[in-house]
Amino acid sequence: MAGLELLSDQGYRLDGRKATELRKLQARMGVFTQADGSAYLEQGNTKALAVVYGPHEMRGSRSRTLHDRAVINCQYSMATFSTAERKRRPHGDRKSTEMSLHLKQTFEAAVMTQLYPRSQIDIYVKILQSDGGNYSVCVNAATLAVIDAGIPMRDYVCACTVGFVDETPLADLCYAEESGGVSSLALALLPRGGQIALLQMDARLHQDHLETLIEAAMTACKGVSKVLDEVVRQHLQEASVLTGE
Amino acid sequence: SLFTWSISTADGSALVKLGNTTIICGIKAELANPTVEAPGKGYIVPNVDLPPLCSSRFRPGPPGEEAQAASQFIADVIESSEVIKTEDLSIDRGKLCWVLYCDLMCLDYDGNILDACVIALLAALKNTRLPEVTINKETSAPEVNLEKRWELQIHKHLVSASFCIFDDSILISDPTAEEETLSTAHLTVVTDEDDRLCSVHKPGGTSLSGERLQECISRATTRQREIQKLIAKVAHSVKKAQ
Repeated sequence: MAGLELLSDQGYRLDGRKATELRKLQARMGVFTQADGSAYLEQGNTKALAVVYGPHEMRGSRSRTLHDRAVINCQYSMATFSTAERKRRPHGDRKSTEMSLHLKQTFEAAVMTQLYPRSQIDIYVKILQSDGGNYSVCVNAATLAVIDAGIPMRDYVCACTVGFVDETPLADLCYAEESGGVSSLALALLPRGGQIALLQMDARLHQDHLETLIEAAMTACKGVSKVLDEVVRQHLQEASVLTGE
Repeated sequence: SLFTWSISTADGSALVKLGNTTIICGIKAELANPTVEAPGKGYIVPNVDLPPLCSSRFRPGPPGEEAQAASQFIADVIESSEVIKTEDLSIDRGKLCWVLYCDLMCLDYDGNILDACVIALLAALKNTRLPEVTINKETSAPEVNLEKRWELQIHKHLVSASFCIFDDSILISDPTAEEETLSTAHLTVVTDEDDRLCSVHKPGGTSLSGERLQECISRATTRQREIQKLIAKVAHSVKKAQ
């Protein structure tokens, strides 16, 4: 894109951030009454809502019940008004199905499913406003929602999208950067053990840069996990004040 | 409570919380060719979505009958009451007009979807800013000026009041999900600011006597005034903030 510098000479990005700076993260837990667990998360201009129902009895195909673990069912969808152009098919298109599958695989790694055999946990994520980093925001919101539902997890699952421009890794990409031809990598991490739950990259990148990129992603994810931890503790404090403990 | 929550990607938006029921409305305007029957008018397409995340009653998949019935109800109400003069939406007679896609999404289902939808829709429409479009004389192509925006003119302010009926004796207004499942019939009355009726919707159920209906209508007009005050207050505070 002529004239649009993703990283200026002084090291500032399009929205004035430094290369390793994350967008402002705000989150709220327990926003809905109907669901067992819910969370709303804003990362810059990307807004996502995650809702968890479960664990409950298997619905639909009984044959898919697992005798020793719970089945995690994820659905990812975007609101029709979330992108600049109205999205015609929010459900069932290939991108949504792919994202749903990735979310499912990520959470299967983190949630202690062996505590709930023969049951199902539903995770629904909806993007209300999309400005880059859709997958990461969904994972972060879903983590908070699962915690709100009281389902035990091995660790927080934090995700971040990083890109590589001019030999520098950029943390937490926004839409303009993602579509500007930057090679982007999405990483979901369990921060305490430093274990990677999901890594996805579909762009051309030199093998030597991969190491630095993954490092940058892990640092960014650890930053996200600190914020999420804060949010959970604060929510717990507010809840205990309300119940008078 | 009502928030004209700015979703920057949408042209107009509002979030309504009626007790626990939460509905968000996003309006997107697109350019389109007007229909052959009405070349001088634009059109509005409402769509109510009840996704599985709002309640464990709904399954993922194509919209169920409740969502479709609600969408149709909103469409009828908009068309018959002429909330917006569709001629305002026309840019070039016969060639170009605005289409407003109103997407109402339920985020938390606790009964009384129709009332909340109507409020959200009205608030979002009030909040909608459409960019100016001029037709270039030489190329006859539309030029959209995203900087200059104009507000939509709302001609009628509609408010809907829903009731639940139990065996023709007990009337409950603004029912929650529990009350709705236990009730024997529903009734929705939509009124405008001149205390005139726009729509009365009673889909089957136990019968209701004439005086009861009148009672409901008078209650609806009182509710009308309360909600009008709320919407005016929010619009005023948004203006002050801008």
